[in-house]
Amino acid sequence: MLLIHCPHCNEERPELEFAYAGEAHIVRPNEAEQAEMSDADWSKFMFIRDNIRGDHAERWWHAHGCNMFFNAIRNTVTDKFTMTYKVCQKRPTEHQIKVAKND
Amino acid sequence: MLFDQGIDIPEALSGDALNIALEPEKARFNVRVKSKDVAAFKKASGFKFPVKIGATAKTGTQLISKFGPDEWVISDDAKSREKIAKKLSKLAGQFVMSATDISHRNIAFNVSGRLANEAVNIGCPLDLSLKSFPVGKATRTIFENAPIQLYRSGEDTFQIECWRSFAPYMVDFWTAFSRDIA
Ligand SMILES: [Zn+2]
Repeated sequence: MLLIHCPHCNEERPELEFAYAGEAHIVRPNEAEQAEMSDADWSKFMFIRDNIRGDHAERWWHAHGCNMFFNAIRNTVTDKFTMTYKVCQKRPTEHQIKVAKND
Repeated sequence: MLFDQGIDIPEALSGDALNIALEPEKARFNVRVKSKDVAAFKKASGFKFPVKIGATAKTGTQLISKFGPDEWVISDDAKSREKIAKKLSKLAGQFVMSATDISHRNIAFNVSGRLANEAVNIGCPLDLSLKSFPVGKATRTIFENAPIQLYRSGEDTFQIECWRSFAPYMVDFWTAFSRDIA
């Protein structure tokens, strides 16, 4: 079974406790921006994702645990989690991901 | 007043190696307080809120477990229910917080004996070695398809809580387990 490190519980927990919650770092347009947006742009925000092959920044939910959402870098080819981090933190740089992989 | 919790535990589950018993009815409150207010809340309430997720504080019959960054569950014997409710509603006047009476939502089992670890691990994938799950730790987790709360009160003793409707489902797994090891 896959073990996922929850940055809130600060421990590795079995994947069965978690739920996937889509790509991370997608900023919701504010009210004013929404009013200006075309339907095409709105649907792009809602539905269109990069679907990256490789290191993917994505949201996870510790549903059967601390009940918090957090972000993770997971390789979509190997299914290996490189790192997890809190929602308030920036997307790690390529360099940071590389360093984390060597840990 | 105590009432029949409506759960029957088969005799096969009360052995020496594995003993599963129903815990009596309890008072339970889910409390959420903003992190910045916790120190003041603790001072005003006298509740011994543990600091780390997974930690518990036991005072007499009262157990306070921390399940999330800003979330605690207070559990106590059934007769303390009104007293705790009163205290919390008073505190709600002073703090931005939430307190929910969830006393009747759960059924609690006491799982003890040499095979207690296995009885938990047949449905729950957590590492129950004393190093990663020491005595006194509590967490929300999962048992097969049932969300549970797991608390280790001794090396070979666990308290498991689940929603009432999941209780017969849990008992079925343990009954099957007791047949397997018999
Ligand atoms: Zn967690």
